[in-house]
Amino acid sequence: MTSFDDELSRRNFVKLLGASMALAGLDGCSRMPGEKILPYVHQPRELTPGIATHYATAMMLDGFATGLVVESHEGRPTKIEGNPDHPASLGAAGIFEQASLLQLYDSNRASAVRSAHAPTGWEAFSEAFSPRALRNHVGGHGAGLALLLEATSSSVIADMIATLKGLYPEAGIHYYSPLARTEASIPQYDIRAANVILAIESDFLAAGPMQLRMSREFSDRRREPSADMNRLYAIESAVTVTGSSADHRFRCRPSMIQPVLAELYSLLGDASVPAQRAAERSYGGITSSALRVIAADLSRHKGQCLVIAGERQPPSVHALVAAINEQLGNTGRTVWRIRSPLLGAGDGSFSIEALAGRLRDGAVDTLICIGGNPSYNTPGPLQFDGAFRKVRNTAYVGLYENETGQNAKWLVPAAHYLETWGDGRAYDGTLSVVQPLVQPLNGGKSAVEILAAVCGVEKSPLALLRESLGRTGLVGETAWTDAVRRGFVVGAAAPRIQGPTIVVPTAAAPEKTDHIDVTFAADSRTHDGSFANNGWLQELPDPVTKLTWDNAAHLSPATAARLLVGSGDTVLVRTPASSIRLPVLIVAGHADDSVTVHFGYGRRGAERLAAGVGTDVFPMWPATGAFVSSASVDRAVDAGQHTFAITQSHWKMDGREQAKSETLRSYNARQATFKPDDHPPPSLFKGEPPPAAVKQWAMTIDLGLCTGCSACVVACQSENNIPVVGKEDVEKSREMQWLRIDRYQDGTEENPEFIAQPMLCQQCERAPCEYVCPVGATDHSPDGLNEMVYNRCVGTRFCSNNCPYKVRRFNWFDYNAEISETEKMAKNPDVTVRERGVMEKCTFCVQRIREKEISAEVAGTPFLGSSVVTACQQACPTRAITFGSLTEPESEVMRQREGPRAYNVLDELGTRPRVRYLSRIRNANPALDTEQ
Amino acid sequence: MRTLPSDAVLTERLLAPLWNVPRFWWLLFGLSSMGTLLLIGAVSYTVARGIGVWGNNIPVAWAFAITNFVWWIGIGHAGTFISAFLLLLNQRWRGSINRIAEAMTIFALVNAAMFPVLHLGRPWFFYWLVPYPSTMNVWPNFKSALPWDVAAVTAYFTVSLLFWYLGLVPDFASARDAAPTRLRRIAYGVFAMGWRGSGYQWSRYRIAYMLLAGLATPLVISVHSIVSLDFSITKLPGWHSTIFPPYFVIGAIYSGLAMVIILLIPLRRAFSLADLITEMHFDRLAKLMLVMGLMLLYSYVMESFMSWYSGDQYERYVYLFSRPRGPYAVAYWIMTIFNVGAPQVFWLRRFRTSTVVLFLVSVAVLIGMWLERFIIIVTSLNRDFLTSSWHVFVPTWVDLSILAGSLALFSTLFLLFVRFVPAMAISEMKVLRHELSVSPTVGQAADA
Repeated sequence: MTSFDDELSRRNFVKLLGASMALAGLDGCSRMPGEKILPYVHQPRELTPGIATHYATAMMLDGFATGLVVESHEGRPTKIEGNPDHPASLGAAGIFEQASLLQLYDSNRASAVRSAHAPTGWEAFSEAFSPRALRNHVGGHGAGLALLLEATSSSVIADMIATLKGLYPEAGIHYYSPLARTEASIPQYDIRAANVILAIESDFLAAGPMQLRMSREFSDRRREPSADMNRLYAIESAVTVTGSSADHRFRCRPSMIQPVLAELYSLLGDASVPAQRAAERSYGGITSSALRVIAADLSRHKGQCLVIAGERQPPSVHALVAAINEQLGNTGRTVWRIRSPLLGAGDGSFSIEALAGRLRDGAVDTLICIGGNPSYNTPGPLQFDGAFRKVRNTAYVGLYENETGQNAKWLVPAAHYLETWGDGRAYDGTLSVVQPLVQPLNGGKSAVEILAAVCGVEKSPLALLRESLGRTGLVGETAWTDAVRRGFVVGAAAPRIQGPTIVVPTAAAPEKTDHIDVTFAADSRTHDGSFANNGWLQELPDPVTKLTWDNAAHLSPATAARLLVGSGDTVLVRTPASSIRLPVLIVAGHADDSVTVHFGYGRRGAERLAAGVGTDVFPMWPATGAFVSSASVDRAVDAGQHTFAITQSHWKMDGREQAKSETLRSYNARQATFKPDDHPPPSLFKGEPPPAAVKQWAMTIDLGLCTGCSACVVACQSENNIPVVGKEDVEKSREMQWLRIDRYQDGTEENPEFIAQPMLCQQCERAPCEYVCPVGATDHSPDGLNEMVYNRCVGTRFCSNNCPYKVRRFNWFDYNAEISETEKMAKNPDVTVRERGVMEKCTFCVQRIREKEISAEVAGTPFLGSSVVTACQQACPTRAITFGSLTEPESEVMRQREGPRAYNVLDELGTRPRVRYLSRIRNANPALDTEQ
Repeated sequence: MRTLPSDAVLTERLLAPLWNVPRFWWLLFGLSSMGTLLLIGAVSYTVARGIGVWGNNIPVAWAFAITNFVWWIGIGHAGTFISAFLLLLNQRWRGSINRIAEAMTIFALVNAAMFPVLHLGRPWFFYWLVPYPSTMNVWPNFKSALPWDVAAVTAYFTVSLLFWYLGLVPDFASARDAAPTRLRRIAYGVFAMGWRGSGYQWSRYRIAYMLLAGLATPLVISVHSIVSLDFSITKLPGWHSTIFPPYFVIGAIYSGLAMVIILLIPLRRAFSLADLITEMHFDRLAKLMLVMGLMLLYSYVMESFMSWYSGDQYERYVYLFSRPRGPYAVAYWIMTIFNVGAPQVFWLRRFRTSTVVLFLVSVAVLIGMWLERFIIIVTSLNRDFLTSSWHVFVPTWVDLSILAGSLALFSTLFLLFVRFVPAMAISEMKVLRHELSVSPTVGQAADA
């Protein structure tokens, strides 16, 4: 619990942000940026207290932008949503984008410029790094100067770097983010045009800069079960969101990916690649016969299929995939390439290895590190941290005093993206504008400001941005206003280019069997560790393992059995680089003879939430940055049992059919005879029909579209002020998320079928919770909502006991009393903050319903059920959630509810839920379909 | 035929513990007070921090507190059962044990009443469960079992207290008359409320006593029936069962009888009451235990049978898989052996009259009955409908401290009782003595 404590005093809180004063109407926009910022869609004549405004902006992750719309209450950003027009978002928002709000208000953020260990000011820094002062140390041409930036695609940073190069021609410029793409050209996909998709170690539905768009395009071909449905095959070692959403998932050892592709390539027609075509082979899961079926399916859809390789696969795999796509006639149709908008992409001289070399040579006198965390997130053998400490003069500009910040001579707090002007490119090259919503809370500085100070340029970041964007063609006030208001420049995707010549690797990769393959993976929640101090993300159950507050060595059941370990035992993973002890987590469906480890844990910086959580695996990452390596794994006998905080303990449905799925074929057979059931189940209760004049709220969730990515869970947490409880309480099954994603697996431990099921309050018409509450604290509204009256609740928890869906959450402690003063500013003012001892649960975002209801009434316009969008619905990248009113027969929710796929969970209990699920349809290939 | 002591000797003997405090009393009182302090500490900690200091979670939102509540309420049943039920049935032998049984009821109810308040998320609002005319015109939800629970327990506690006190009035008068110091005379005099033992007073007293007994008897049935509704009105497999009201009442009386035996045996030894609490008493209590144990066995069998017969997969899972084979299987089998197996020794008279066997079996039954409530509550909750929400419950040190502390509080109260209140119904003993001396067959009639 103490980890949530905060050192900020009340005085600091008042100093930091005048939001409370804004409410009092004293100084409405004291923390609004000084420059003119433009609200999304329409600009109010004045700021109306109590009415939120929305601004478009963009967040960068690994150098690529995702367009966002941020809700602001009286100058205080409270909710991050997707920008419906932005090509990388299409209105959805991923977990990192949404949770970055909490980062803005993180009380552990660096708060003052310091030099050595003494606090100084920004003036001292800009003086010490001004050209006048710096030249004395780095030489006239700046040979002793090096800059390390996070991967970026920003035009203004590119221009500032050019200015810097003018000043210091010999200065070294380096870009590094451990998970960023470094190729000179990057592949683009049109998922919508593909009938058959083969994902090779690719989690394109839940990871990467285009995951939101790709999820949407993927789901658009699966909305209605029909012959037009796409089909997804996944070949992967670890279990990913994409793999568990696939129609057919095959396991494969990571080191076998290349031989598998080689066989596929030769199956598709090029005999020059060696592959034992005749012999039936198994590649640690997938077999030749399955490959033949896939190859046949792909061949049937030439030009309308797609093979995607994971972005962190080695170049040889990418080359093979490019060759296969070429062979299938997909190039230019479902896949093409653009020049990477990342600065320095494809040029090794900009890399961190080059910088590490220069540091080792002692050639660097002054190193300015802007963002990132190279002391932590670089491969262990690179020994960057040691070299960094030896540099005479180092400066670190970052959100936190992390591992790098602690070792730097100078620390400058960085501005959060919601506090600064900037720009960047989406993955498809679209120019996106980063617009601030609030002045830097801790006086943080953006990368542009740092570069301007180093170059001695005395212009505001906004002026520099406008200059740079002017050079890209964004000229004139109207164009600028339009771009800022939209958040991006329309139609600015990068032109297609001819990809590099494909050299199909002909030499079969050496196959070793005596070792275990180790895969280094981005963590679904902390990414590369940069989100490790974010409570929403630490407590977000991993979409696959439901693990929180931890990382682990993922092993298959068979491999774990061979190593004589179980979940919670410790293994020693030894790579040539290093050896690390990790707790084992057995994951059904994981490939044998392979271990997957995740970056982003074992942080040693000043971030207090992240401290002591999980284990750092960067030290054993090979210096080459290869994400697949070989290792030996042994049971560590002297270690005790590790306790994981996992939110789900039972993975089988035990025949209870809570989450239904069927193949397209069986669905078609069933649908032929389907008649809508208009007889309600028998009941002793003869309640009156609901009044027709009032809306009757209902939701449908399409299990065929839900990938389990968990964006909705974070959206709900942010919208509804849901507290973070910490690892100990998650271990006790006390997590507070109102919306959870249940995950079931069926079939064998080796090749299970997965299904994800978002579970939230079902808003039962005959709610079992309501009649047992002794004080009437949970009751039914006229518009069909099962309501919680927090201030009436005495906390008997009887309602939870009687809830068959177990979606009610109890405030075991006063969780909100423990959060910092700054974090309180992330709370949604439209939603009550609950105190200790009361029950809470999903409300169907009643505050959003009432807001639309009231504004329709004020405007005198008809109130349509479809105008209400719940937070989970809004965040969902696949649009799996539909919300509306049963009183509107034409509404989408009514159409879905009456369809053949709709069903109630635990229908036999007669609770008459208002949430209906649509069964998942697997577009199974009849040639592989074992069900028939 | 037994030789009976005279009235004066009886009075003197039975009031003796009030004037002479044996050394072991101080030892036991010290120990139990320490336990009570533990309870106060654990309760204060719970109220200060929140229910989170217990092991409860979602899905297991009720665990130790409600288990303790039901267990103590159950124990509280035997007192009124022995006093009122047997009084109405004219079972004279009850006279030598009814006072102890009633006191036990009161103290068990004090313990029981603590838990429903303590287990609330916001215990300071417990009075919202009471129907009172609030200015907001908000009433409790009468569809829920909990407001009825509050009403039933309150009514039972009030009637039990009155019944106990009414029975004590003549004995307080005896104590007043025999008190060695002025202070005690005044104190007992206040409690005796001017009792002079006149025929007029006795006649009124008898009527009031019978009326209260008549009032208390249905309450014995109603309290635990309503407590059982806390469970059976829900949809939860393992709780949703129509057999619960009689099943709970039987279990309650069963555990109460066990507690009476546990208290009687040392008390009889300590105050040399073998001639007043005789083998006959133990023999009858043991027979009652055996009957209750068999009725409980019937309930267990029927419960499981009905789950199978219903064909409902969730019911079947709880009764046929989760309880006997799930994470709490050990508790389930201990419960079965202790509650059903142990009392079978009472088929033999030898064991019915052996205080050692009686004591051990009673302890086993009390443990078994506590486990039964734990099994009903926790194993139903920890694996309910959706397999994704299954989770085990593990008690914390606070849970265990509160359980241990509540036992200590009970002991403390009981020790204070034997120290300050006549533990035997002196007046009734004297009446019984007279009846026996006039007609020895009265005793045999009572035996029948």
